[in-house]
Amino acid sequence: MSKNYLEEYDAAFTPKLVMEEASRCLLCHDAPCSKSCPAGTDPAKFIRSVRFKNFKGAAETVRINNILGSICARVCPTERYCQQGCSRSGIDKPIDIGRIQRYITDFEDSLKMDILEKKPLNGKRVAVVGSGPAGLASAGYLALEGFEVTVFEKEAKAGGYLRYGIPEYRLPSEVVDKEVKRIQKLGVKIECGHLVEELESLKKEYDAVVVASGHNKGKVLPIFAGKRFVKTAVDFLHNAKKKKGNIKLPENVLVIGGGDVAMDTVTTLKLLGVPHVTDVVYETFAEFKASKKELIGSQEQGVTIIDGYIPVSLKGKTVKFQHRFIPSELKIKADLIILAVGQYTEAGLLGLEVKKTQEVEETANRVKDNLFVAGDIAHGEKTVVYAVRSGKEVTYAIKKFLGVK
Amino acid sequence: MVKKDLSIEFLGVKFPNPFCLSSSPVGNDYDMCAKAYDVGWGGVVFKTIGPKSYVINEVSPRFDTLTKEAEPFVGFKNMEQIAEHSLEENLADIRRLKKDYPNNVLIASIMGNDEETWEDLARKVTEAGADMIEMNLSCPQMTSHAMGSDVGTNPELCKRYCQAVKRGSKLPMMAKMTPNITDMVPVAKACLEGGADGIAAINTIKSICNIDLDKKIGMPIVNGKSSISGYSGKAVKPVALRFIQQLRNGIPNLQISGIGGVETWEDAAEFILVGSRTIQVTTGIMQYGYRIVEDLCNGLMHYMEEQKVNKLEELVGLANKNIIPAEELDRDYIVYPEIDKDKCVGCGRCYISCYDGAHQAMEWDEETRRPSCNHDKCVGCLLCGHVCPVGAISKGEIVFKKTAKPGRKIADIRL
Repeated sequence: MSKNYLEEYDAAFTPKLVMEEASRCLLCHDAPCSKSCPAGTDPAKFIRSVRFKNFKGAAETVRINNILGSICARVCPTERYCQQGCSRSGIDKPIDIGRIQRYITDFEDSLKMDILEKKPLNGKRVAVVGSGPAGLASAGYLALEGFEVTVFEKEAKAGGYLRYGIPEYRLPSEVVDKEVKRIQKLGVKIECGHLVEELESLKKEYDAVVVASGHNKGKVLPIFAGKRFVKTAVDFLHNAKKKKGNIKLPENVLVIGGGDVAMDTVTTLKLLGVPHVTDVVYETFAEFKASKKELIGSQEQGVTIIDGYIPVSLKGKTVKFQHRFIPSELKIKADLIILAVGQYTEAGLLGLEVKKTQEVEETANRVKDNLFVAGDIAHGEKTVVYAVRSGKEVTYAIKKFLGVK
Repeated sequence: MVKKDLSIEFLGVKFPNPFCLSSSPVGNDYDMCAKAYDVGWGGVVFKTIGPKSYVINEVSPRFDTLTKEAEPFVGFKNMEQIAEHSLEENLADIRRLKKDYPNNVLIASIMGNDEETWEDLARKVTEAGADMIEMNLSCPQMTSHAMGSDVGTNPELCKRYCQAVKRGSKLPMMAKMTPNITDMVPVAKACLEGGADGIAAINTIKSICNIDLDKKIGMPIVNGKSSISGYSGKAVKPVALRFIQQLRNGIPNLQISGIGGVETWEDAAEFILVGSRTIQVTTGIMQYGYRIVEDLCNGLMHYMEEQKVNKLEELVGLANKNIIPAEELDRDYIVYPEIDKDKCVGCGRCYISCYDGAHQAMEWDEETRRPSCNHDKCVGCLLCGHVCPVGAISKGEIVFKKTAKPGRKIADIRL
């Protein structure tokens, strides 16, 4: 395991180890893993290909089903999806599906395989706002269906949260670069440094518009509003990744939150050399939101995690917490406080009426006229694999709307 | 700590335990054999010594393996021929080994290319102090057709060479058989007629392990070409057991040294149960080292303890009478699978295999992800049990077929 922010944390499988892991697979009938991948990546099929030494076939399965296969392989909380139903758990532990997928997509890269085949242009043009996972996936799937796609990205480089959120040790920028290139190769134009401020002109110029700008802003709890020593995890991770970890940090940092973003934040802090990192979490360990793998990773780095406390007041740089169930108080003083308590979207600025997750039907990506949404805006804050699914859904919806066969 | 007497007599020679190095790269010189004795091998068949005129010149590389998933190799292909040291060096090593390890058995493997050389080699190894002779009539990768497995398929030639060896030596002698033949019994009989006291079986099977798919050349590649050569290791065990069983059927009470893919004490016990008195090993050693003899011996002792036997000899050949012609088997009943639903992990492999490879009798509940057997369709083949990864399927209810002889009782069936 790496201890360097710029190095991938988990070691890759060797050819022998990937065979060993694939041969642990029970090769289930009607495999539960494949049924629980939101993007339909079909792990049962690609693992079986590995088992029978057909790495190229495995790469085809991954790539055709999941246009962001190399990224999902690294960042997907597989324990909540494919690995959750793994029959092997009945014997010992689930198959390490993510790492097998990573091996396969690395193999695909090493051979420079060109798997995706696009249909001839259908004469329709689509604009995609945002180049995060949902924007990239939407653009990719639309291009495969013959649409001429242009993506508008406000940052200098494409990738959104993939590039500016998920830390380098978990998702190297190089992997994002390759994935973006693969999508550009399908004919997708990506205009970086282009902030979309209104949608009407795009709606007129293009046959359809997909807004996939994500939940890109970190929430701030009221007691912390306006304090200079308080940052959001989104901003912190963005800054760390942009500067390749070359940032100044104090010795004592307090993080509040217990999701995967919080885990990314605390682990990043540790890898960047902060000696004292304390994470206070609303959920108790039994309810923990972050994936086990990320939780363990942060604990291995020596992060102090305290569960079940709510922040109630701030005095100077000291935060007072109360336990949710028992009469217990906690005071922590820190030089820097980072909030990882959820994200929200600024899509409202575009005049989009933003609905709560529950109100959005999963296949109803169309908002009105020729305007569509994908990713977190459509589904609420979710995962990269969900963004891939969303990209497929919006492609289907646009095809139907424009009468493309 | 289990302690059992593993000693056994074979062709009148007492072995401290039945485990021997077979004639191969693993017993190539004094140091190797001495180390093997030190670790606990009961005997050594010293790498085959050939006539002075036959010059050994090996290829590089010379091995290949058959792999399966993440398993270490299950089969091994070897192109090496016989001992490359000079006759004098080999004889000196035998002399020294016998002097330093008088209680361990040393068997000299020899291979001539005519009657004269067979006789001469037999005489020389006897003078050097060997306890026994093994005639290598079976190496499949010799560069001369007057030697090796081409000889071993010719009963008449084998008999003459055995006679020659017996002229040169009074030592107990076994002839090592090639499996590259349909029926080994006529060759073994000819050898016994020629004076052989016992049989060693099997040598390696002629093989091509893999083909390099880019270069379209067999493996290993020797300057752009390859050759057919001997295959060994775990994968050949079933073939070896079959030949030994047939030898014991064809030649009752034949004394056999069993060879072919032994890695574990269980493999060894199987060779003993089909009638082997000693066990020879090479591939397991090449893969894991001489140290495997520790678990071979200890495991076999535990098996003896479980079987309540004090002499290894008591186990020899116990399975021979239970392997009978197919036409004599009881075909009156069906045994249905019994599924332990608590052990079942719901993978559905039994369902797939039953549908695609058997009789569509396994039914699958999509909700509970559990199989159940439809007895109307089930023929009792029990393929399901073989593919189950958790051993949740065992032999269950026995039912007589409509065609069964009347008056049969389930209690009489031995599963």
